[in-house]
Amino acid sequence: MTRRILHIGVGLLVIYVLLFVQLELTQVVRADALRDHPQNIRGITMVFDAPRGSISTADGEIVAETVTVSGARPRLRQYPYGSLYAHLVGFISAEHGGGGLERSHNDFLAGDDLGVRIQDKRDFFVDRARTGQIKLSVRHDVQLVARAALAGHQGAAVVINPATGAVLAMWSAPHFNPNHLSSHDLVSVADDFVALKSDAEGPLVNRADAQLAEVNAIFTLVTAATAIEVGLSDFVAPQSDTVPTQAIKNDGNITCGGDMASLFITYCRTGWATIGLKLGGANLRAISERFGLTESISTDLGNQLDGLLQSGEEPLSAPHVAAGIGVKLSPLHVAHLLATVGNDGQRIRPHVVDQVQGHDGSVIRDFTPNNLGQVIAPDTALTLRRMLAENVERGNAQGLALKNVEVGGILASGFAEQPHVWAVALAPVTQPELAIAVLLEGDELSDPHAAETVVASITRSIIEAVLRLPSPNVEGTQ
Amino acid sequence: MTTDVNQQRIVELTLLLLAAFITCATVAIAAVGDQVEITWRVAPYLAALLILWAVAHVTLRQRAPTANGILFPIAALLQGLGFALMVRIDPSLAARQTTWALIGVVGFFVVVVGIRGLHQLRIVRIPLGIAGVLLVFLPLISDSDPSDLEISLALQLGPLHVVPGELGKLLLIIFFAGWLADHRTQNTAEFWGETLRIEGDRSRFIPLLGGWLITSAVLIFQSDVGSAAVTFAVFISMWWVAVGRRTDLVLSLGAITATAVLAAVSVPELQNRLTAWIDPWSNPELGAAITRSSFALAGGGLTGTGPGAGNAEWVPGVTDHFAFVPVGEELGFFGAAAVISGYLLLAGMGLRIATKARREFDGVLAIGIAVFLGGQAWASVATTLRLLPPSAMSLPFISINGSALLTWNLALALLLKISETVPEASDQTTVLPGIKLEAERQS
Repeated sequence: MTRRILHIGVGLLVIYVLLFVQLELTQVVRADALRDHPQNIRGITMVFDAPRGSISTADGEIVAETVTVSGARPRLRQYPYGSLYAHLVGFISAEHGGGGLERSHNDFLAGDDLGVRIQDKRDFFVDRARTGQIKLSVRHDVQLVARAALAGHQGAAVVINPATGAVLAMWSAPHFNPNHLSSHDLVSVADDFVALKSDAEGPLVNRADAQLAEVNAIFTLVTAATAIEVGLSDFVAPQSDTVPTQAIKNDGNITCGGDMASLFITYCRTGWATIGLKLGGANLRAISERFGLTESISTDLGNQLDGLLQSGEEPLSAPHVAAGIGVKLSPLHVAHLLATVGNDGQRIRPHVVDQVQGHDGSVIRDFTPNNLGQVIAPDTALTLRRMLAENVERGNAQGLALKNVEVGGILASGFAEQPHVWAVALAPVTQPELAIAVLLEGDELSDPHAAETVVASITRSIIEAVLRLPSPNVEGTQ
Repeated sequence: MTTDVNQQRIVELTLLLLAAFITCATVAIAAVGDQVEITWRVAPYLAALLILWAVAHVTLRQRAPTANGILFPIAALLQGLGFALMVRIDPSLAARQTTWALIGVVGFFVVVVGIRGLHQLRIVRIPLGIAGVLLVFLPLISDSDPSDLEISLALQLGPLHVVPGELGKLLLIIFFAGWLADHRTQNTAEFWGETLRIEGDRSRFIPLLGGWLITSAVLIFQSDVGSAAVTFAVFISMWWVAVGRRTDLVLSLGAITATAVLAAVSVPELQNRLTAWIDPWSNPELGAAITRSSFALAGGGLTGTGPGAGNAEWVPGVTDHFAFVPVGEELGFFGAAAVISGYLLLAGMGLRIATKARREFDGVLAIGIAVFLGGQAWASVATTLRLLPPSAMSLPFISINGSALLTWNLALALLLKISETVPEASDQTTVLPGIKLEAERQS
C-alpha cells in the first residue's frame, strides 16, 4: 500500500511541476509579450483616474490635458481640439483601453517611467504624483491646414521635415472625437466605442500609419535608386507595349521605352519591368530594406506592418516590384521614403514626439533626431530629386506645380482592390523643407484623371501653407 | 497533563504566530497602497480571524495533542493571505468571510471533539454517500447558468452563500473510503499477485463504475473539466492505493478518456469552453477571464506589484475562481510559487499521514482528502494559467466563496484526526518493534 501511495505522490509532484513551469512562462518568460499585447488594456485603464501629463504641439498648443472635476472620479482627460489629433494622440478610456500616444507613451504620461518619477533627489523619499509632459513635433498650423485640405475625403496626409524626421502633420479621415471615449458617462462611452469599432469605414484606424495601399509609380523611385546604386543608370529600355511572361501592360496599351528619366515621367510599366528583370529581386529588396520600407517605422505609435513586398505568402516577382505593381505601403512609409531622398540619402527615423518634459519644463527624454545612416549616395539622391522635379515640370505630375517654388513629386493611382490615389512631393526640391504624402481612397475616385487633379490640389494647398507659415518657435514661447 | 505539551503543538504555535504576523503585515502593506480607513474597518474581522485560529489551536491542544502540527498553520497562512488580498479588492466580503471562518471553526471543533474515533464515520457511510451524491448534483436542479464562470454553482440560503459541490465531494470521499475498506481484501493486487488477469470477484468493478458515472455526469452536465478531473483523480487514487490492480486501472482510464472525447465532440457547452481555451483572444465572452488573468499575472512579473497595488478586480470572478490572479499579481512569481508550494506541502503531508495511518479506512480517507485538496488547488491555479479549460474551481482556503471554507476546515480536521499518533490503542505497539530491531542488530 505504501508503494502505491508513493505513486500518488509522484503523480502530484509531476502535475505541480507543470504548474510551476507554466507560472514561470506566464509571469517571467512571456511576461513582456503579454504586457505589450494589443488586447492588454490593463496598464492604461489602471491609470485612468491618476494624474496625467499634458500633450502639446511644437508651437505650444495643448492638445490633451487632465483637469480636476468634482464627482465620483476626480479627474477628466480632455482633448481641446476634439478629433484634430484623434489618431495621433489617441484616447484613454476607463474601460476600453487607449490608443495612439496615450497608450504607447503611457509610462511617461502617467509617471511610471523611472526618469519621470524621480525628477529630483527629494522624489526618492516623498511619494508625489510626478507626470511627464509630452511635446509633439507636430505643428498645430500645419495640422489644421491638412485637415482643411482633406475635408470631405477619406484618406490620410503625412508631412515630414526631411532634415530632422519630425512629423509636422498627420491627419487621417474618417476620424473620431476622443472626448467621447474619455468621458465619465461609461454607458455612452461603451455605445460610442461599439459604434466606432463596428463602423465599416474604420474611423479608429490611423490611415496615415496603418493603411497599406498599392503605390505603383511611387515605387519606381526605389527602382531608379537601385539601378543607379548598382551602376545601371545608363540602361535604356527597348520600346515595347507588353512584357508577355509577366503579364504586365502599359496604360492604354501604348508603346514606350527609353532611358530611366523618360521612363520615370511617363510611368512606363514595361520599361520598369525590364529594369526589374535586369536588377533581380534581391537588389530591389536590399534597397527597400535600407529605405525602411519592409519594417514598421512608426515605433512612436507602436504600429505593426509586415510583408510589404509580399502578395499573400509569395514574394512578388522582381518585374512587378520594379514597376510598383502589387507593392503596398502606408502614407508614413512613402513620406519617409521621400524625406530620405530629400535629405541627401540620410535616413532619419520619423518621430511625432520631440521631448518628454518634467514638471518644471526640464527635458527628461529627447527623441530627436535618430539618424539611421546613409541609405543611398548623395549623388544618387540628387539624381532622383532631378527626376522628381522633371516629373512635375513636364511629366505626369504637372498638377503639383507651384508658381514660386520648385516642387518634385509623383502622382499615382491604383484600382486593384479599393480605388485610391496618391500624391507625394518634396518642396522646394533643391533644398527640401518638407516631404509630403497624401492618400485618398473611396469609390468616387473611379475617374483617375479627376482624382489626380483633386489630390494634387490638396497637396499643393498643404505645401503652400507650410512654406508660407513661419517656423515654430519651440524654445521661446510657453 | 497540561504541563506536558506535545512537541507537535509547540511547532504548531510557532508557525501559527508566524502565519498571523505575515497576514497582519500583508493587510497593513495593502493598506498603504489603498485607502487606510477601509483597513481600519477590516481590523475587527482580522482580529476575529486570529481569535478563531487560537480557538482551533487550543481545541487541538486539549483534544488531539498528538495530531500533526504543520497542517493547520499552512492552512491558516493560506486563509490569512486570501483574507488580506481578497478583502482589499472587495471590502464588503470581510464580514461574509469571517462568518464562514466562524462556521468553519465550529465544523473543525465538531470533527475534532465530536468524533471519538473515525470508525464512527464508517458506520454512517451510506447516508453520507447518499447525501454526497445529492449535494454534488443539487445545483443542477436550481436554475443557475453553467456558462457563467463568475458565479459558482451555488445556492443562496437567506444570507448564506452555500456551494454544495465541495461538501458533497468530501462526503463521497468518506463513503468511498468506507466502501473500499469493506471490500478490498478479496480484490487487491497483493491478494492476486501482480497479475494482469481480468478474473476475480466481479463486484470489484462497482466502485470503479460509480466513480466513472459521477465523473461523467459532472463532465456532461456541468461541462466543468476541472471539477471532473479532480473527482476522477480522487476516486482513482483512493482505489489505486486500496486495490491497485493494473488491468482495472487501464480499463477505467480508457473508459474515462473515451467519455471525455465523446463529451468534447457532443456537448456544445463544453465545446464553447474548449474553443475559448484554445483561442481566448477571439472569444471575448468566455475568454476574457483567461486573457485578463494572463495579463494581470504578467503584470506581476517576478516580484509582484506588492500587496494592494495590483489591479486584479479587472478579472471576472477574481475573489472566487480566479483568486490565484491577485496572489500571482501582487506577490509575484516568488510569492505565487510559495503559495503553490503550500498546497503541495498540504497534499504531501496528507499522503504521509496516510502511510502512517493505523487502519485501512483511515489511510484511504487520508489519500482521498489529500488528493482532493491538492487536486482542487491545482485545477484552480491551472485554470488561471490556461493549463485547463475554463473551470469553476475555487482555490481552497484563499477563495471567498461561502461554504467551501467549511468544507476545507472539515477536511483539515479529518486529516488531523487521522494523524493522531496516540490512539485508543496503547503506544507500546509502535515502540516495541523498534526496540526489538535494535536488540537484533546488537546481537
